[in-house]
Amino acid sequence: MWKLTLAGVFCLVLLTVALGAQALTPSHHLSLSDVDRLKGLLSQPFTDLASAYYSIVGLSKLGASVADENDACQFLKAQLDPMSVDSLFFAAEASQAIADCEMPVFNETRDILLAAVSEDSTVTQIFRAVSALSSLGLPLASQEVVAALVARIAKEDNVLAITTALQTATRLSQQAELGGILEEIEDLAARLDDLGGVYLQFEEGLEATALFVTAAYTLSDHADTEPPLKEDQVIQLVNSVFSKKSWDSRSEAFSVACAAAALSSNRFHVPVIVSTQGPATVSHSQPILHLLVTDILSNPLASANLLVESAQAVASKSVVLSQAPFSLRNGIFELNFMASQPASGYYQFTVAVTGDSRLVANQVELKVKVSTEVAVTNMDLSVVDKDQSIGTKTSRVDYPFKAKGSFTADSHQNFAMNFQLVDANTGVELTPHQTFVRFHNQKTGQEVVFVAEPDSKNLYKFELDTAERKSEFDSMSGTYVLHLIVGDATLENPILWNVADVVLKFLDEEAPAAIQSKTLYMPKPDIQHLFREPEKKPPTVVSNTFTALVLSPFLLLLILWFKLGANISNFSLSPSSVLFHVGHACMLGLMYVYWTHLNMFQTLKYLAIIGSLTFLAGNRMLAQKAVKRLASK
Amino acid sequence: MSNSVISVISRFLEEYTTKTSNKLKVVDAYLFYILLTGALQFLYCLLVGTFPFNSFLAGFISCVGAFILGVCLRIQINPDNKGDFLTISQERAFADFLLAHTVLHLVVINFIG
Repeated sequence: MWKLTLAGVFCLVLLTVALGAQALTPSHHLSLSDVDRLKGLLSQPFTDLASAYYSIVGLSKLGASVADENDACQFLKAQLDPMSVDSLFFAAEASQAIADCEMPVFNETRDILLAAVSEDSTVTQIFRAVSALSSLGLPLASQEVVAALVARIAKEDNVLAITTALQTATRLSQQAELGGILEEIEDLAARLDDLGGVYLQFEEGLEATALFVTAAYTLSDHADTEPPLKEDQVIQLVNSVFSKKSWDSRSEAFSVACAAAALSSNRFHVPVIVSTQGPATVSHSQPILHLLVTDILSNPLASANLLVESAQAVASKSVVLSQAPFSLRNGIFELNFMASQPASGYYQFTVAVTGDSRLVANQVELKVKVSTEVAVTNMDLSVVDKDQSIGTKTSRVDYPFKAKGSFTADSHQNFAMNFQLVDANTGVELTPHQTFVRFHNQKTGQEVVFVAEPDSKNLYKFELDTAERKSEFDSMSGTYVLHLIVGDATLENPILWNVADVVLKFLDEEAPAAIQSKTLYMPKPDIQHLFREPEKKPPTVVSNTFTALVLSPFLLLLILWFKLGANISNFSLSPSSVLFHVGHACMLGLMYVYWTHLNMFQTLKYLAIIGSLTFLAGNRMLAQKAVKRLASK
Repeated sequence: MSNSVISVISRFLEEYTTKTSNKLKVVDAYLFYILLTGALQFLYCLLVGTFPFNSFLAGFISCVGAFILGVCLRIQINPDNKGDFLTISQERAFADFLLAHTVLHLVVINFIG
């Protein structure tokens, strides 16, 4: 029952999120420094053909090249093993990326490569052979390749194999039957794992995802068919591939470079990144909002136009700007936002990038801050008598000067401060987040801070009731320096203003109050433990008397028995009766020993031994007695 | 009123001294001794206080228990009650008395502390 409720709640939440969610925008891309880092990793010196291939081809995808192209070409030629399909592949592909670098083609090369194209080779082998044939300019039969690929896909049903098959198809003639292989893109996309609605990746990892992206878009371009990926999926793929900013191996870097190249220049989907240049803040001194529109490699888009669809104030929800275009200057989009005279605060911008039908995620939400400068006006300080019988003495202080005299307030008076905070540029009243009034005692180092609050007309008032607040000041009279502190995220000029000196007089001044704070961290006085007091015992005389008294009836008993004529004349000295009496005496002695030394277990042990002996002897004795008694009857 | 009480008591005493056997009188003397001991313990507790309360309880219960066991013994060995105790001989009654006392003493000594 609980599971159903949970599922229901989850669905409701999901629905709300889905309805309220805007289009997904990429949260990761390759900034210019990331691209440099990627190029750096690929530019590392290579030692074998595979790494040479990754470096040379990877750099070419990023629009760069190896340090010394001639050297690279020579290296390729030297390392080439014409009998190996892999070697031919690496060398041929790498040489294509270098200008004026031709690999030698032997007679056997074509045969070896064509032999690799069959149902019996792995997809990777087929791919490498086909690529090598295509790069070396050798003819190949596309239909045979398609047949071999389809057969291999059925046998090797893993992500990497199918991706490689997709890549192979990009090298084939456009007249070949690529429909079946194109469908694999959709099937493969279904295998992607959705992580939190933000990332979409294969469980095989980053390299597999990046290679899939490359293959899908390259094949789609080659076959002139739009890839079956939705806009959200594309963005999620972008997030997955470009979230990692330092790569473990050259092959991983190569796959990321290929994916970046594919996503920035294919014919169908080009994810666009809109970012601010510096913080997204405008003010009177800097009225222009600068935005950069780039692709995922941080290259500016050639034909893009930026438009503000709406700019809405966060606080008041009023729309300040609508359908305003940005102007392009030196590759940066600019908009003079201050021209719309926005009040200070935060604004939610919705911008749209137009100009290219391929653009994906071209509606972006941005938060822009408009900051301003604050001015303190009409600062009036006064000392008001509590019973209001004496008129108030008000003096005006101008920022940034200090009041000329000091103000004195004792327990009968209140110290009051009134002021207004206005926008220095527009004259509009402001209510910043932080408006503090700070009292600082120079002598004792005490600091007391209060908050000044605005009333309904946005006039700030602060009143200090000397008698009421004496606990905060620890009743320390003296001269306090008064500061006004004004701050806010949207203020460019936070204020710390020494307004005046205030002399406060408190009653019941306690001198040790100042020392209290100093002794706070000193050791406290020791606590002496009070042990449990022993109970009051009666005097020994009393208890001794009563002991004797309690034992006295025993004497009485003996006397009574004597008077009654009880005797032991019938005592038969048979062994059983002797043993019985001895055993019984031992048992009574054991009781005493139990009281003084033993515990229950030991006592029971001894009692068992002595008791059983006594019992046997007693049984015998009593039986004899009974016989005697019955005989005498 | 007091006359009748005195006459009842004197009659009782007379009957007691003549009719009861010596054996029973021995047991009665023992019972009287136990009674006195218990009463004196209780008096001490009332006067001085219950300080080692467990000790007081142990002593008092010991007296009470011994008195009860003594009474049982007296009932069982009284020849007038023979009809009620056909299966229990006098020796058997005495043996029971001793066994019960062993258990009583064990408990009392454990509790006396």
